[in-house]
Amino acid sequence: MSAIEALYMFDEHNTPLLEHTYLNRPPSSSVLLPLYLAHPIPRPPLIYLPNTNPPTLLYSIIHDHLLFLCPSSSDTDPLAILTFLHRLTDVLEDYLGSPLLSSKIENNYHVVAQLLSEMVDGGIIASTEPNALRDVVEAPNLLKSLLGGVGLPSSTPSTAAVVGGGFGKGMGSRLGMGPEMASPVPWRRANVRHTSNEMYVDIVETLQVTLSPSGRPLSALASGTVAFTAKVSGIPDLILHLGCAGGIHNAISLPVFHPCVRLNRWRERPGEISFVPPDGRFVLAGYEVDLLADAALGAFSTSTTAKSAPKLGIPATVSVHTSLGPSGSEFEARLQLNPRFTGKSTASSQPSATKSSLGRTSSATGTTAAPVIEEMLIHIPLPATVKNVTDLRVLRGTGDATYGPGDRAIEWRISSREISTLMAQDRGGGIGATATLRGTVIGQDESADETLDIGGGGGPVSLAASTYHYDDSASSFSQTAAAVAKPSGIDDAKRVQANKVLMPSCATVSFSVKGWLASGIRVESLNVDQKRSKGLGSGVTPYKGVKYLCVSRRGVECRC
Amino acid sequence: MESISRISSLLETARDLTLEAARDASNVRRAPTKELPSGQLKKLLDSRTERDVLEGLRRVVTMSYRQPPSQTLPFFSHVIKNVASPSLQVKKLVYIYLLQHAEHEPDTALLSINTIQKSLTDTSPQLRALALRVMSSIRVPVISQIVSLGIKRGSGDMSPYVRRAAALAIPKCYRLDPNTEPQLLDYLSTLLGDKQYFVTGAAVSSFLELCPDRLDLIHPHYRSLVRKLVDMDEWGQLATLRLMVVYARKCFPRRTKKVKKTAGNANSNRKSVKSTKGFYDSESGSDEEEEKDMEEIAVLDPDLELLLKACQSLLQSRNAAVVIAVARTYLYLGTPEYLTQAIGPLVSLLRSAEDIQHMALHNIVQVCLAHPEPFVKYYTHFLVRSTDAPHIWRLKLELLTLIFPHAQLRLQSLILAELSHFSHSGSLDPALVKESVRAIGRCSQSPATSPQTSARCLKLLLKHIGSADTHLVAESLEVIRHLIQRDPNAHRTTVVRLAKHLDAATSPQARASIIWLVGEFAGIDPENNIAADVLRILVKGFADEAEPAKLQIVLLAAKVYVHHLATNPPPEPAKAEELKPSPSLMDDYPEEQGGFRDEHLGSPPPQSSEAPKRQKPHVIETLYNYVLLLVRYDTSYDVRDRARVYRALLATPTSTQLATLLLLAPKPVPHIPSPSEMRKGYVLGSASLVVGDEGGVGGLRGYEDLPRWVKEGDEPDSALRDESIGNPSSTYVSAYESAKNMSAAERLDAAAGSSSRMTPDSMMSPRSLNGMGGDMGVGGASKAPQKEKTLDDWLAEEEEETDSEEETDDEEESEEESEYETDNEDEDEDEGERDQLIK
Repeated sequence: MSAIEALYMFDEHNTPLLEHTYLNRPPSSSVLLPLYLAHPIPRPPLIYLPNTNPPTLLYSIIHDHLLFLCPSSSDTDPLAILTFLHRLTDVLEDYLGSPLLSSKIENNYHVVAQLLSEMVDGGIIASTEPNALRDVVEAPNLLKSLLGGVGLPSSTPSTAAVVGGGFGKGMGSRLGMGPEMASPVPWRRANVRHTSNEMYVDIVETLQVTLSPSGRPLSALASGTVAFTAKVSGIPDLILHLGCAGGIHNAISLPVFHPCVRLNRWRERPGEISFVPPDGRFVLAGYEVDLLADAALGAFSTSTTAKSAPKLGIPATVSVHTSLGPSGSEFEARLQLNPRFTGKSTASSQPSATKSSLGRTSSATGTTAAPVIEEMLIHIPLPATVKNVTDLRVLRGTGDATYGPGDRAIEWRISSREISTLMAQDRGGGIGATATLRGTVIGQDESADETLDIGGGGGPVSLAASTYHYDDSASSFSQTAAAVAKPSGIDDAKRVQANKVLMPSCATVSFSVKGWLASGIRVESLNVDQKRSKGLGSGVTPYKGVKYLCVSRRGVECRC
Repeated sequence: MESISRISSLLETARDLTLEAARDASNVRRAPTKELPSGQLKKLLDSRTERDVLEGLRRVVTMSYRQPPSQTLPFFSHVIKNVASPSLQVKKLVYIYLLQHAEHEPDTALLSINTIQKSLTDTSPQLRALALRVMSSIRVPVISQIVSLGIKRGSGDMSPYVRRAAALAIPKCYRLDPNTEPQLLDYLSTLLGDKQYFVTGAAVSSFLELCPDRLDLIHPHYRSLVRKLVDMDEWGQLATLRLMVVYARKCFPRRTKKVKKTAGNANSNRKSVKSTKGFYDSESGSDEEEEKDMEEIAVLDPDLELLLKACQSLLQSRNAAVVIAVARTYLYLGTPEYLTQAIGPLVSLLRSAEDIQHMALHNIVQVCLAHPEPFVKYYTHFLVRSTDAPHIWRLKLELLTLIFPHAQLRLQSLILAELSHFSHSGSLDPALVKESVRAIGRCSQSPATSPQTSARCLKLLLKHIGSADTHLVAESLEVIRHLIQRDPNAHRTTVVRLAKHLDAATSPQARASIIWLVGEFAGIDPENNIAADVLRILVKGFADEAEPAKLQIVLLAAKVYVHHLATNPPPEPAKAEELKPSPSLMDDYPEEQGGFRDEHLGSPPPQSSEAPKRQKPHVIETLYNYVLLLVRYDTSYDVRDRARVYRALLATPTSTQLATLLLLAPKPVPHIPSPSEMRKGYVLGSASLVVGDEGGVGGLRGYEDLPRWVKEGDEPDSALRDESIGNPSSTYVSAYESAKNMSAAERLDAAAGSSSRMTPDSMMSPRSLNGMGGDMGVGGASKAPQKEKTLDDWLAEEEEETDSEEETDDEEESEEESEYETDNEDEDEDEGERDQLIK
């Protein structure tokens, strides 16, 4: 069974923060933590510790630098426990505010304790719905508790009384501030009241693109999440229309929904999400868009030119050219920026101005009309054998490139201002801007020499200098018994060969673009179904807002 | 689905986070609330004002989390006396303290029981539920009877919240005192039949904790549980699905019927012709043909189908565990059609956080091992990314190799290109290189791979040998060796090519590996073998070799010598032509083809016949002796010892039997299965599947394998599941039932409908259209009679049978056959009886 036996929390310095035991007698946190830390990084989320008593399965997640451990002595459903841990962090953030910091937890042990005992009962996961928990556990908000003590002036007749009637009788709470438990919708708390009614839709897409060395895309996925913030009184019934140029059902695949969404409605009319939202912030839906569709495989085998490759229209790509220079120890990374993202609305490559009737696309920098690339970071991981990178310079364009020997990677950061100047320079071309970074790798000295020796045939191990050859044609260079006087060209060839091992094999690009989605999905409308909603005064139209964000967290990967 | 906190962190700028974190770090470890001296704290707890008490309790609770219980125990009585406080806030904190400390002071804890018991009759359902939960959580065995009574009262409560608390309290009570089990089972069976999905989910969880084998309790509630499945919360769904897999295996026998394959391919035509021929040849043969022609199709029990259909809408759940649970249900209970529906949602789990991704991948691999085809179209999700952690890319590579044989040609080349990319450039991580080379090997080994593709894989691997990356070379050779050993005859040229690569290969391990392979092939096709030649060349540079290579050279010399002795007993110089070093021969071996082309070798070069006559001893013998001589003065003990062994073995050229046994023993063909093949036995969604055999054979503690399908005839009567029989209280019409079972959203709609009369939309109540609702019951009922064949069914079947004459003929024949058999058996039995009589 999916039993939660205990829960341990540690802060960023791995000092214990909280220890809550639900069931049995699991090993204590002081026993488990060293065993967890002994596991080499990266640590998998499930570690089996056969040497504890009893043998323990240790589940772990790290959230905002806080470490959550959950031991289990018997076979449990790993996904259930991990999902629970994620829900727990959601709930804690909901109560204590994000980011979740150790000091916040220390200040609110009494709230955390209540939450923990509500969420799991005797090892069985009981309730993880933030709204349901709001009904039973008071938020630590000082102002709120003051108001709650006074008792809210009920301007409108309590809706809960109407709805809850059929649900559970005799529920009038004796305690003045005792929350009603009669919420008819399990995911929405009862008696929601807001002075200003607001609804926000945030669509976030995360890019996962892989480009082959020739620049052809191998895979291009955008995983989208529709986050919703509902601050609407009563029990609103909402309809959200999502639209897309080629028809929403062609674009979106593999959707998942919050339990509040009426699945049948979606099946009948794709793109229409009808739901009664929980109060507050939640993830309404998740989906996935294959930006390549079926074109990928075709492009891979039939065409050899990059031109016929499907156009992706992602904001930035990078290509890395290796084994350059006389000794093949140099490499070059070229960043290519899509001209669409200049940030100037005059560059009218924007296909159809979003005709969303909704107001705000509130961001000072990027708008739907003129999306702007921000937080650009190119990350080039290097092999472990690389000792140092010298002569790292940005040939074209701007940016700040650094090599961190500890991370074994080069980071090339370009601020949004630098990007816009770059873009401005290249306005005439319409091809977008490019920037180039060049550097030289140096291997670990001894080993590099040794490889050279081996390649050159002078080393003690090699047989290459000896005269046996099955094919004479290939033996053009190693016949020389006297390996001392080697022509420099041969030497270089060997160097190139040796340096090949030191070359980076890929580069990843991170960025975020506000006001633009890779899939082209947009919010057509968001309406309150007045007939089905309750508790919302007639004529009240909540304030609506939409935000789009496209993110790549090292998601655009270019091989070389 | 992504968790909201992760999405929020994307939306909020990273700067804000770091600012706040920095501010937090500056005053780190400054105790948030100063700890009061215990006297003052006690005063707070004893205070009359609620505010002070609350403050005191907060401090005590904080202390209890930060310090050992010995620090907070002194306050026990001070805290406990607040249990009677009318304030809910105070009560909750007292309860938390009580649960943490009750075991240390069981006697004092008992004092509070009375007050808590009183709360069970409170008017507030929240308080009643809370009291029940707390009372059952106190780990003092004496109170088990009181708890049991509390549960009894709670399970009849008006409020679903209290009933739910009662359901969750049942396993706790059992843990306090196992003797209460009979009473608890009683309560549980009422709770399982609860009208509220809210309650039943918890009841099922308790059932699984308390008595997972008492399936007889489930029978009357089976259908209602399945109907409520969609509306339960995620954790209830998980528990119910877990229960239902076991239940279905034990209650619905696997019925299959044979259906002619629907695919109208040319094969079936051909086969039917064959089968007619088989009619005259042999009965058994035709039967086999018949079986190939027929396809087994599972016939689902209507009740089982009800479950499978109810699961469908759960596939869109945001909870990864639920998706896996549905996939498990479909994999172990359903038909392939159902399973294919689950594939997409399974793949969609790869969008979530990395830890969930890891678990999901384990499960995907498990499903993919059984049914690889439907995964092919999701290949883009399995491409390895440079940011993947080792435990993730390992599984992704495995998935790629699993779908490889089923992919179309273009995709195969894409996968191969992908794998070779990682084998080349994976110098980032040697393990990745190793794993991707192995993956190439698995791709070419798979039985479904065509020979052309296999050759391609091999070519890819051969390319690696010249690389400067030692990991790559060593691993490639290892895999090549496996490939060659699997089919030695097809790979003779490969060995020749490998030998050529000795020039390029620098790593000792790689050289050793090649030399070993050459030695293994020394005996094949003795006329044209290169082994002796290779040896000759190697010996020249012997002094410069590394130790592993030296060892292999000595071994090669011994092998070549043994072969030499075996083919031509001592002084006969018959193998002359082979000795002639002729590098030109090697050039002519075609690089691409797998065949060993040696037409021109058939006629030995004429000048070679002169060569042997110059020397008295055979060249191979001289070579061998030379090697032994070299080794004698080698610096390595190991090499010298090895040489001594061979010398002794081959001391007398006439008796080579022992040496042949030792040196030329046939090597077993290595088989490298997919890494997760070892975990194949574990059930989807279990931790044992993730941990693997590390957790001990047979899984981790508490792991339960799926029960086998119940045998036909052993299953409980399906009438037990009729709700009218098992549950007299629900004998009303199903309309009443459905009204009672109304989901939350339906209630909403109904409520909305009453205020505004029936908009068209309100008719489509969301959840009922999700596949649940009254129609299910009807469907189940209408399908029920199918089990007993009506006359019409029989007639229809007979018509099918007469469709093809051959088939019926076959069947008649086999029937006759079987009659004979039974006759024989009878005779046998008779004989047996006679025997007994005689005795």
